[in-house]
Amino acid sequence: MSQSLRGKLALITGSGRGIGRAIALKLASEGADIIVNFFRHREAAERTAKDIEAMGVKTEVIKANVGDPAKINEIFDTIAHDFGYLDIFINNAASGVGRPVMEVDLKAWEWTMDINARALLLCAQRAAKLMEGRGGKIVSISSLGSFLVLPGYASVGVSKAALEALTRYLAIELAPKNICVNVVAASAVETEALKIYIKEQSGLGKTKDPRQITPAGRMVTPEDVANVVAFLCGEEAFMIRGQTIIVDGGTSIATPSLLGKEQSS
Amino acid sequence: MSIEEQIRNIVADIVHCDKSIITRESTFKDIKADSLDIVQALVAVEDKFGIEIPDEEAQKFQSFGDFIAYVENHVGQEGKV
Repeated sequence: MSQSLRGKLALITGSGRGIGRAIALKLASEGADIIVNFFRHREAAERTAKDIEAMGVKTEVIKANVGDPAKINEIFDTIAHDFGYLDIFINNAASGVGRPVMEVDLKAWEWTMDINARALLLCAQRAAKLMEGRGGKIVSISSLGSFLVLPGYASVGVSKAALEALTRYLAIELAPKNICVNVVAASAVETEALKIYIKEQSGLGKTKDPRQITPAGRMVTPEDVANVVAFLCGEEAFMIRGQTIIVDGGTSIATPSLLGKEQSS
Repeated sequence: MSIEEQIRNIVADIVHCDKSIITRESTFKDIKADSLDIVQALVAVEDKFGIEIPDEEAQKFQSFGDFIAYVENHVGQEGKV
């Protein structure tokens, strides 16, 4: 296996489970040391850390809600103290409240924006300082909801759009520091979060099972997303800046007549 | 102020309800708390008492009595009073 990230240090927010865990394992398999961040599920985070350690790289677990600026500072203070540098920052942690736009109240809006969009701003500002003089990679995880209207996804979709726009500004302003900033946007990925979303929305009769509407014939997996993130963290992606790379098995470009058909196996 | 009283104040503040309706027997559903209210209450209580309440544990709470008991049992062991 390639060890192209040997000696690099990566922080992945929300990496105890789902897409974050897959990214953490992928970057570790490429040789990177990994900071696992979690908010609510310590057991999952410690399992991820244990699996990373088994790959022979260093790992550390940090609990923090990235929606809280003070906790973001704690994360980066810890990294600055324990390592003094950072090479890769993956802005993966996300949250949201599944409601139609007319039912999104101030609390739900701020909660979602703070975790999904503001965290990138505050984390990137701190991460860039730890990448000073050595360059780095910043990759955020977005979704098709940043430009498609999905049921009950208003606040999350808008937060992801903000994240993608902020990425373009970061990409240009951090380019002189040799920091590459990009986004990977996935369609529905088979995770616990998706199960909750489908359960919430199918009760309202508003969403189809994504497995039936993916032209590539299967759902996107966390590993599909992790593979693209790992590519963006490598030197071969050096000239890709401020882009949103879509990983969706063709869903977002297929016309409605192509969607919803049974896939041949 | 007792731990129970402090938790009732925190939850009432987050859910915007009268704290008199928060008893040891009541549930988050009884006080019309949504999933975001619950997470915010857990986080606020963690920060207040310097303890950790993993979701795996929180999901076992049947009532505020269970929530309060968990905090009472962990404050002092791992947190601040």
